[in-house]
Formats: sequence, C-alpha cells, structure tokens
Amino acid sequence: MSLFEANHIHKRFGQQVVLENVNLSFEENKLSGIVGPNGAGKTTLFNILTGKYKPDRGQVVFDGMNITGLPIHKIAQLGIARSFQIMNLFDEYTVLENVMVALPGLRMQQYHMTHNVSTDSALEQEAFSILERIGLAEDAYAESKSLSYGKRRALEIGVALASHPRMLFLDEPTQGLGSEQRRHLMELIHIVKEDTTIVVIEHDMQFLMDIADVISVVLWGQVIATDSPKKLKMNWKVL
Amino acid sequence: MTQILSKFRTDFIKMGLVFIFLATVPLWIGRIGLYDYIALEILIWCIYAMGYNLALGYTGLPSFGHGAFFGIGAYAMAIYQFHFGGTSLWIGLSLSILAGIVFGAVTGGLVSHRRGIYFALLTIAFGQMFWFLAIKLRDVTKGEDGLLNLERLPVDFGFFSIDISSSNSLYYFSLVIFVIVVVLLWLLIHSNFGYVIRALKQNETRAQFLGYNVRFFKLISFTLSCAISALAGGLFALAQRSAFPDVMALHWSGIIVMMVIIGGGMVSFWGPVLGVMFYFITRDIVGGITEAWLMWFGAAFMAVIVFQPEGIAGMWGNLSKRFQRVNTKTKLEEPQEAQHEPV
Amino acid sequence: MEFFLDILPHILNGLTIGLLFALIALGFTLIVGVMELINLAHGSLFALGAYLALATMSYLGASGFTSPTIFQYSAALVVAPIGVAGVGMGLELGMRRTYGKDPLYGLLFTFGAALVIEEGIRQFWGSNDLYFPTPSFISGPIILGDLFYPKYRIFASIFAIIMIILLWFFIERTKVGAIIKAGAHDSEMVRALGINLTVLRAGVFALGTALAGIAGIILGPIWGVRPHMGVDAVIPAFLIVVVGGVGSFRGSVIAGIAVGLTSGITAYFAEDWSILSIYILLAVVLIVRQRGLFGKASSLDT
Repeated sequence: MSLFEANHIHKRFGQQVVLENVNLSFEENKLSGIVGPNGAGKTTLFNILTGKYKPDRGQVVFDGMNITGLPIHKIAQLGIARSFQIMNLFDEYTVLENVMVALPGLRMQQYHMTHNVSTDSALEQEAFSILERIGLAEDAYAESKSLSYGKRRALEIGVALASHPRMLFLDEPTQGLGSEQRRHLMELIHIVKEDTTIVVIEHDMQFLMDIADVISVVLWGQVIATDSPKKLKMNWKVL
Repeated sequence: MTQILSKFRTDFIKMGLVFIFLATVPLWIGRIGLYDYIALEILIWCIYAMGYNLALGYTGLPSFGHGAFFGIGAYAMAIYQFHFGGTSLWIGLSLSILAGIVFGAVTGGLVSHRRGIYFALLTIAFGQMFWFLAIKLRDVTKGEDGLLNLERLPVDFGFFSIDISSSNSLYYFSLVIFVIVVVLLWLLIHSNFGYVIRALKQNETRAQFLGYNVRFFKLISFTLSCAISALAGGLFALAQRSAFPDVMALHWSGIIVMMVIIGGGMVSFWGPVLGVMFYFITRDIVGGITEAWLMWFGAAFMAVIVFQPEGIAGMWGNLSKRFQRVNTKTKLEEPQEAQHEPV
Repeated sequence: MEFFLDILPHILNGLTIGLLFALIALGFTLIVGVMELINLAHGSLFALGAYLALATMSYLGASGFTSPTIFQYSAALVVAPIGVAGVGMGLELGMRRTYGKDPLYGLLFTFGAALVIEEGIRQFWGSNDLYFPTPSFISGPIILGDLFYPKYRIFASIFAIIMIILLWFFIERTKVGAIIKAGAHDSEMVRALGINLTVLRAGVFALGTALAGIAGIILGPIWGVRPHMGVDAVIPAFLIVVVGGVGSFRGSVIAGIAVGLTSGITAYFAEDWSILSIYILLAVVLIVRQRGLFGKASSLDT
C-alpha cells in the first residue's frame, strides 16, 4: 500500500530541466532510499515532495490526498517531517528546547498566550524521551550551537522525529559523519523504522543498502531504476 | 502558578525592582536637575520600546516604521477628544489600542511575508506613507499644526475619579499601564505562542516545516507590537496635550530602533528600557554640554552595531559570564566543523 | 494643446529629476551589487555633496579670489564629490566588521551613519534652507514660444546625461569597470581571480557615494538645500534599483527616468502627492515582487 506518491513530476529552473517525468511511490512502514550523484536532482525532488517547491507538472499524493502546492506548514501538519542536509536548527535554543518546539503537544496549543511552556512537565518529559532515543539526554540544557557536529546531526534528526510524523524524510543524514556515528545513526533509524515510514536521500550507497527496503536511483533528473537493494546490486545499469 | 513564581524567581525579582525604582523616580528627579515631565516622557517611551521589541527582538521583524503606530495611537486619542468631544479616558485609550490593532494588522498583513532587509524597507515605505497622510489630511489631523489643547482625562471609576492632570499623577497612571504591559509581555514571551515566535526568529524555515503557520504568527506578533506602541502613543498625546505628525516620520521611527538595539533588546527583556534611558540621558545630560548630542547618539549606535550588537544588556551579560566562568561545571565538547555550514 | 503646454513643464521636470535619480540609483546599485549592502546613508551623502559644494563656493568667494560664479561652481563640482567619496570610504572602513554577518547589520550601520551625517550637517551649517547660487549663463529661464523653462534644469539634464554616458564608458569599456561589473555579478568569483576585494569595495563605495554627492550638487539649486534633503533621494533610489534590477546599468537608467516621470506627472495632477506616489510604488513592488525580479539571487533575497 503506497502511502506517498509522486506522479509525473517535472521541474525546471530557468532553462535547466532538473526533473523529468519522475514517478515514485513509498510504501507504508518501509524505508525507501533515493540515491544518485550530486546534481542529479535529488534535493530538488525532496523539496518538491516536502512542499518547498511546486512542480511544473505532476502531482504529489499523500495518503490518497493531493498535497501538490499546499503550503509547507499544512503539509507538515499532515504528518510529514523532514531533516535537512545543511543543518536547520534553532541555534539559540538549547537541545531540549529544539525538540520541544517540534512536539505535537506544543503545536496543538500553539496559539496559547499564557500557558507557560517551561513549567509544563508533560511536554518536558516527552522531549526527554526523544532525547534519550537519539542519545542526547545528557546535553539537554546545552545550547545547540555549542554541540559537536555529530551531535548536531543527531539533533537535526531528533527534531524531525519529535513531531511524531507518519512519514519522515531524511536528507543526507550521514553527511560529515564518521563511521562510529554512522553506526549510531543506523541503529536509530532501525528503531524508528518500526512505526514510521521513512524516505532517505543519500549518496552513500553502502549505507542505504544496509537500511533500505527499496531504493530508487536518480540520474540526470530521471529515475532509472527502483528495486530492492539485492536486485539493484545485480542491475548493470546501476553499476 | 507557584511553579512559575519559583522557576522564574530572578525574573520576577528584577521586575519588582524595576517597578519599585520607577515608582520612586518622581521623588528625586527634581533633585538631579530634571523635570517631572521628563520622567513621564521616559516612561511612555519605555512602554513604546517594550512593545516595539516584541517585533524586533523576539520575532526578528526589523520594523523601521513603527513611529507610524505610535503616532496613530496619539491621533486616536487626540481625534477622540478634538472631533468627538470625548471625555472618557478608558474609551480614548481603547481607541488608541484599537487603532494600533487595525492599522498594525493591515500593514502586517501586507508585509509579514517578507523578512530582513525587504521587511525593513517595506516598513519604511508604510511609515512614510502614514506620516505623509497625517500631514496631508488636514481636516482630520490639522496637518503640521497638530491637534492641540487636549485634556488629560481623569481616571474615572464611576463612583470616584482621580485627576491626572499633573505630570506626576499621569506618571503614576502610566506606571500602572507599564506594569500591566510588562507582565503581559512576559507571560506572552514565555507562553506557547512566545516559544514559537522565538523559534521562528531563529529559523523560520524549520518552524514552517514543523507545521507552524509562520506568516500568521508574524502577523499576530506584529499587530500586538503595534497595539502596545499605539497605547503608548495615546498616553503620549495626553502627556503632550497634543498630537503632531513628526513622531511618525522615519527620523523618529529610526530612533526607537536605535534605542532598543543600543539597550540590548536583541538579547534581553529589559534591553528596551535601558535603551530609552540611554537616549534620554544623552539628550538631557550630553545635550546640556553640546548641541550635537543626537549625532553622538547616532555614533554610539554605529559603534554598538559594529562592536557589540547585543547592546548594553549584552555587555552586562558578558561581564557577568566572565565572572561566572570560574564556576562552570559543565564542560561542553569542542564543536567540530565537518562541513561548511551557512551562517 | 493647452493641456499639453500645461503638462509639458512637468514632464520636463520629471525627466530632469528622473535623470538625476538615475545617477543616484547608479551609485546606489553599484554598492548594492558589489557589496550586497543597502546604503541608507546614500541620501545624507547626497545632501553632503550639496553642502560641501556650497562650502567650496563660499570659500573661493571669500578668499579674495573675486572669481565668477562659474569658476566657483565648477570647482565645487570637482572638490565636493571628492570630499563625499572620502566620507564614504571612511564609512566603508567602519563597516568592515559587519561583512560576514546578516546584511541587516549593514543596513543598520548605514542608517546610523545617515543620522550622524545629517546631524553633523545640521551642526555645521544649521537647519535653515540655504541658497545655492548658480553661474549666470545657466540661470534664468529659456523662452520657447509660450513656454518659460528654467535654463538650469536643462543644464542639469544635459549634465546628468553626460555623467551617465561617462559612467557607462567607464564600466563597459575599461578594465577597472569590467572588474566592478564582475564584482557586482559575483564577488566570490572576483576574489578567486585574485582581485583584491578590499580595494574593490572601497573603490566602489567611493565611486557610488561620489555619484550621490554630484547629484546633490546638481539638485541643490532645484530642490533647495536643507539637512533633510537626503531622505527624498535615497528612497526613490531604492525603488529604482528594485524595479530596474540590482547591478543593472540599463535598469537603473530606465527605471530612474520612469520614476522621475511618474513623480513629475503626478505633480501636475496633485502637487503634494508626488512623493507619496513613490512610496506607494515602492510598497507595491516590494509586496508583490517575484523572486526573479532581482535577476541575480543575492544574500538580500530571503
């Protein structure tokens, strides 16, 4: 059952055609990977899937609903979260505060003008449990900008996770990580995979091979193959 | 309730100290060679500045046209008295607030999808437009001649009323307003709404992707900021007993920006108050020595931008951090840059 | 025909102002393009140009030279812009620390500078309107049939056209101009090519502000000289740059003339509202502006 579909996506920037007739579908509770060299159009694709850009042609469908062209916040409210390749954290906020902003508990009462967040122990507890999942519970009160790169990467994903999404889009999550950190990330993703549908963009093929159920290969704005990792390994086009 | 009181004890102690300090001002201001009226002026500008900083410091909206809303608030009170013969202080001030909300919402609705420099320039355009209209619509505002001879309407509770025609009594009335505004602002900033506002100031994109209608938040915050500034404007009309267009011009809109930044509004709740004090000290004390005091004020602002954008409050914060560094228990890891991250 | 004669002076005024706006905008857009900075002090420097010119002229007049106004005026046209450029370079020096940061800091800095310069002018020369004497051969009206038109405005237009052409030659036909053009297009690239970005920036700022100063000298006799005259120069400059495109020479000239004409023609219908029309136009453009209007995506875009 495909939870999310992208149909006949075309996108051009000026003269440059970036995506051409891209068709993808992501099954619920599976981890789908999107791989391809830099400049292949992966990030643009991601931006279109998550609502930052509108495709010139084509549709994006989530859970049977056409979400093409919806404003970003509306798409996010439907249960789609993403992490970013270039980190997008709240630099002045502490690690804990970064996560709290993402919590649905806060979002549901976002317009409340007197309820004091800092004294809401339920929210704080929930935030801590997220931090524990990503291994940052110790750094809860540190300013996010003072953390090491690897921890910031973890936080980057943690914030997306904290919004309890139905679908999680991860944009190059291993960027700049060492092998140890990469392992941690893989463990985390395995845990999250159980109750969330995940889509990962990567150009580290090996990483994707280990975690993805299905991988789409994007080259020059087109999807040239979609298959399970095992089958892809045998596909000469991909090699 | 008690939880808030205990968790934010320092904040409330500071607040209390500020209120007590301000309450004593009329008692000693004469002795340092200044007039009662100046205390009133400073207090009103403090309300204006605190309202302004909701937009600038907390939401990241650099408005260069806020003088328009201060002026609109003043005109609301003035027009109520002048053209409608109004006599109720409460209605007059409510009209000021309402005018701030209406004009703030309309302006905000048109500009809040912009950020940074474009936002700033849009607010300049709007500020100048409002100023221009205030001068040209002579039938309503009497143009540059202003609306004069306003009354400092009494504080009327029905069964008794308090005369606030003296500067000191108006000062204490304004102080009550100041206290209410400050407490409400504090609650707002620490609420869910404030949490989101501060988040979107740091990273608007991320906030959007977390499901927040960022444009709407900016609009509400901007409108509230205008409403508070307009309320201050209403009080200003009472203080001056008149309303003129000049506070709406770019010149004066710029001065509130400079005050708030110098004071440290970008990083501190009380920054705006510090900034207002700095301005008036410069005006009345440096001004006693040289006519070029405004030039020096501008130069101080330029220096702050270049060397210490966190302003006076920031400098204070840095100094106290330096003393505390000896006692730091948590040692944080050195940040490692594995890739070039944009600022 | 009657209507045409009535509106003609306003059109001509609009044209004159437009050409001078174009000159101001050209200086402004050079700075925006190469330094990605909105120079709010541009207006005060415009004013400073007029004041320094007056100072030069009165100095030459008073120091026993018994020189004709034309000599004083010409000298002022050379000396004053150099003075303005000097102040401009001083500003650029002070601003350097803000370069890596959010462009809002640069805006704030130049805003402060605008105040300081204006107040400085006020201190030095007072707040009153000053009279700007012009050489006799370009003073007074020229008579074309039924039309009386000030000679000075014609001179102003011609002078502006010459300056624009000279500037065009400089940018398009000289090596330095090519570097500036490249810098306006992509400053990172220019640095990678080994060109000293610091010198380039200082130079561009000097050039840009000098242009503002020159415009101030030319417009002084037309607008009157008072400390606050700069605001009405810098806001149209910004509008022109937004409409015409950052770093676009042609855009600045065409948009400059367009804005000037709009202002002039509005003045025919409603004398006082011509300035308001510029602010309204600016607001509309900024609200509605598509991403592509700027041509190049700069750090000013969000």
